[in-house]
Amino acid sequence: MRRRVRVFAVGVVAVAAIGATAAVGVMNSNREPESKGTPASLRLLTEQQYLNTMMYVFGPNVRPTANFAAVPRVDGLLNSGTALAGITDTQLEIYQKTAGKVAAEIVREESRGYLVPCTPAATDAADPECARSFLAQVGPLLYRRPVPPERLEALVAGANQAADSLKDFYQGLSVAIEGLLLSPSVLLVAEHAEPDPDRPGEQRLDAYSLATRLSLFLWNAAPDAELLKAAGSGELHTRKGLEREVDRMLASPRLETGVRALFDDMFAFEQFATLAKDNLIYPIFSGETAVDAREQTLRTVVDHLVTRRQDYRDLFTSRQTFMSPSLAPIYQVPAPGPGWEPFEFPAGSPRAGLLTQISFLALHSHPGRSSATMRGKALREVFLCQVVPKPPPNVDFSAIQNPDPNIKTARERVNFHLQDPGCAGCHRITDPMGLTMEAFDGSGVFRHAENDAPIDTSGNLDGVEFTDAAGLGEALRDNAQLPWCMVRRAFAYGTGTPSDENDRRVLEYLADEFAEDGYVVPDLLREIALSRAFSKVHPRRERVVHPLPDLKSAQRPSQLTAAAEPVATAPQTLTSR
Amino acid sequence: MIDVRSLPKVALAALALPLLTTAASPPAKETKTAAAVAADWAPPGGRIGYVLWDEYWGIRETEGGKEECPKGWNIGPREQFAILYPDQGKKRKLVDTQLAYESQVWFPDTEPDGFEYHEATGKYALGIDLDGKSSPEDFVSDDGRTGIDNQLFRVVGCVRNYRKEGELGIITTKWRQQNRFNRVVFELSNVDSLKNDPDVDVAYFRTLDHLLADSTGHFLPGGSQRIDTRFGKRFQASTKGRIVDGVLETDPVDLELPELALSDPSIIKFKGTKLRLTLTPEKAEGVLGGYADIEQWFYAMNTSWATHHASYGQASAPSIYRALRRLADGYPDPKTGENTAISAVMDIKLVQVYVLHPDAESLMSAR
Repeated sequence: MRRRVRVFAVGVVAVAAIGATAAVGVMNSNREPESKGTPASLRLLTEQQYLNTMMYVFGPNVRPTANFAAVPRVDGLLNSGTALAGITDTQLEIYQKTAGKVAAEIVREESRGYLVPCTPAATDAADPECARSFLAQVGPLLYRRPVPPERLEALVAGANQAADSLKDFYQGLSVAIEGLLLSPSVLLVAEHAEPDPDRPGEQRLDAYSLATRLSLFLWNAAPDAELLKAAGSGELHTRKGLEREVDRMLASPRLETGVRALFDDMFAFEQFATLAKDNLIYPIFSGETAVDAREQTLRTVVDHLVTRRQDYRDLFTSRQTFMSPSLAPIYQVPAPGPGWEPFEFPAGSPRAGLLTQISFLALHSHPGRSSATMRGKALREVFLCQVVPKPPPNVDFSAIQNPDPNIKTARERVNFHLQDPGCAGCHRITDPMGLTMEAFDGSGVFRHAENDAPIDTSGNLDGVEFTDAAGLGEALRDNAQLPWCMVRRAFAYGTGTPSDENDRRVLEYLADEFAEDGYVVPDLLREIALSRAFSKVHPRRERVVHPLPDLKSAQRPSQLTAAAEPVATAPQTLTSR
Repeated sequence: MIDVRSLPKVALAALALPLLTTAASPPAKETKTAAAVAADWAPPGGRIGYVLWDEYWGIRETEGGKEECPKGWNIGPREQFAILYPDQGKKRKLVDTQLAYESQVWFPDTEPDGFEYHEATGKYALGIDLDGKSSPEDFVSDDGRTGIDNQLFRVVGCVRNYRKEGELGIITTKWRQQNRFNRVVFELSNVDSLKNDPDVDVAYFRTLDHLLADSTGHFLPGGSQRIDTRFGKRFQASTKGRIVDGVLETDPVDLELPELALSDPSIIKFKGTKLRLTLTPEKAEGVLGGYADIEQWFYAMNTSWATHHASYGQASAPSIYRALRRLADGYPDPKTGENTAISAVMDIKLVQVYVLHPDAESLMSAR
């Protein structure tokens, strides 16, 4: 009897909690300020999104080596740059080669038994039913929406034709798979808008576009079958259905992949691909160090934010991280194991927070020396979403590279910048905190002195003074701009579009929610995913395009309006003259 | 809060010590190290480990061997074979020629073989006084220490394979660096000063990890080595030592040195081993001396090196065996009275590492 009462009580509490959560959800959705929403964009699927999708659809064995072209970084994110990227002939060739590898892996004898859901009547001839069965199964997962029947039949016809020609059903199927993967519907994320029936006059993403936006945001991969099903049934456009799917995605192990991708992008970690250190100056810093430095920070982020659901701001003061054998010598600590192991820097250690990890210190340094300016600039741009102007083209480096042996520390060198009014404007916003990080050399090794002169690590960040890097981490943690920047980057990353002035009120609302939730990032991702601004669409602004003059005729072509005449047609117009 | 700027660099590493039982952190730059050592530097927690990365038999060479090999080099198996079985149009059986010689390689005896064997001679040699006595066969070290025991120098000092021009030294060191089977460390504990300390503990372990190296192949301090508690127990030993003016000398201890060569895990068995190493926070260099078990040493030689090494390096196994037996100077057999071990010296180089003592044996299947 007591047990029943207790079960009942738990049930009541659970129902009350669910009710309260739902009520809070409704209240929150009501509190969200009106916004224009974001444009429905046309973007490139990134290499990692492509590979993750292949892995989730066909299994972990299907993970081809790919080398997709780089995309530009826009407003702090590569993800925002995917809308500006195009596809060249060379890129198309890379896509084709990658698609070929995927297709070959699917149809090889060891894989076909479990990846192809049927056995052809004969392996040396076409089998339309079997081909259709396979293509109908994987097509929507790759297109991220239902495949139009006529397109499916065209793919089946292609498989049949190739099978008859090659006298091999599986080779024929692989040709169809290759064609499927080369489709613009796979390689490009084309968001579609539709009228919002609940808000006349407004536009929203159609259900499949919303599913894709959610999935790329939270998983960095295409939607799974369940999400597509929710989109197809219309549930995704209901508050209840959307919440259910978002919560399911947040509870999925794939969230870790999504969060890693978000922070890898936000922290500009693609720069590790070209990071080089002078081996004579930093002999311990190897290619493996660079790989592990990136991994260390991403592991720390996932563990802190997702596994332990800790305060985002504490990432900049936490001493908990992970250690590998190639990083331990730079941190001057024993490697706890042969692989990755949890590690905590002891109290009093100069290491606390992301700013003192090798990934930040080494990435924002020169190959042969540290850089207070680069580190200060990165701190402002990466973590505070501020923009530090580029140096003037005629910057005078003679002072900073002065071989005078009496000038021993970076503080003395950059002091020259502060005396020059042309330089001081920017250096005053980068150097006061960058000089604090001079306690670490260009590879991230801690040091007391530079050229035998003691390093003064005092500094200040927006008026908050400190004496060392740990103090800098605390100042950054308490900087109001820090969580705001996280919100801004996460929203832009999720919507695939740089934030602009139209998003200001929504971002303020999300920042308030973030603070109320204790700066727990998965909760922020949930707020963003459930916000109206996330799915609301506004027409893209018309862009005035000024084509280049025709060099042969020296005539200036008339202005073209992007919306009226696609950019792609401009060269034809020029040529026709 | 601790002001880390007021702490010496090495103390920062010590802050991490509660996490693991381990050794010291070296200063980042050698130029600063000298000053730190001069100031009677002590490793954090009184512990510092060194991993072996370079070794070779202690052979003191002069140009052309004019001091130690006045009679020239020893001849090898090719030359001996040609003398034993000259090509005079005479038909010989395989069993009487190649196989007969090969049987001498694997089943040697001490009967004279008719070949003059050139032992290394002279006053000087590398090494340590192992027995505390000054005997007629003992050498003097270059720094004036007397009673140096290194009879193996007499055995192989005039065999070209074992000299710098031979290939054994290069390959042995390569195996030491590349084969984790061969990874061994010495760990000093209870160290109050790396410059002078009359009483330190010295432990020897086989460990499991790769050496830390830069991109040009130089081995660097700061790596970590986990003790092999599962298969490495036979490669563990401990003794006492003392540091005088930065030089460690230890009391004798028996230890075994793993020497995986091509694919055969050879073992060098040393008895009464002593170390004499010059220590810095980053590295240790010097000699390891001990009485090497003759039969084991000879077996290791034959299994480590292929016929072509012996031929091109003019190292005749039967002749070397006879010299080993003739010059053996330690650990007499209680029954026969014949010495079973020969004083030998290894010229060694080590680099600082953190030695990790696992709390418990870790099984691969449990990870």
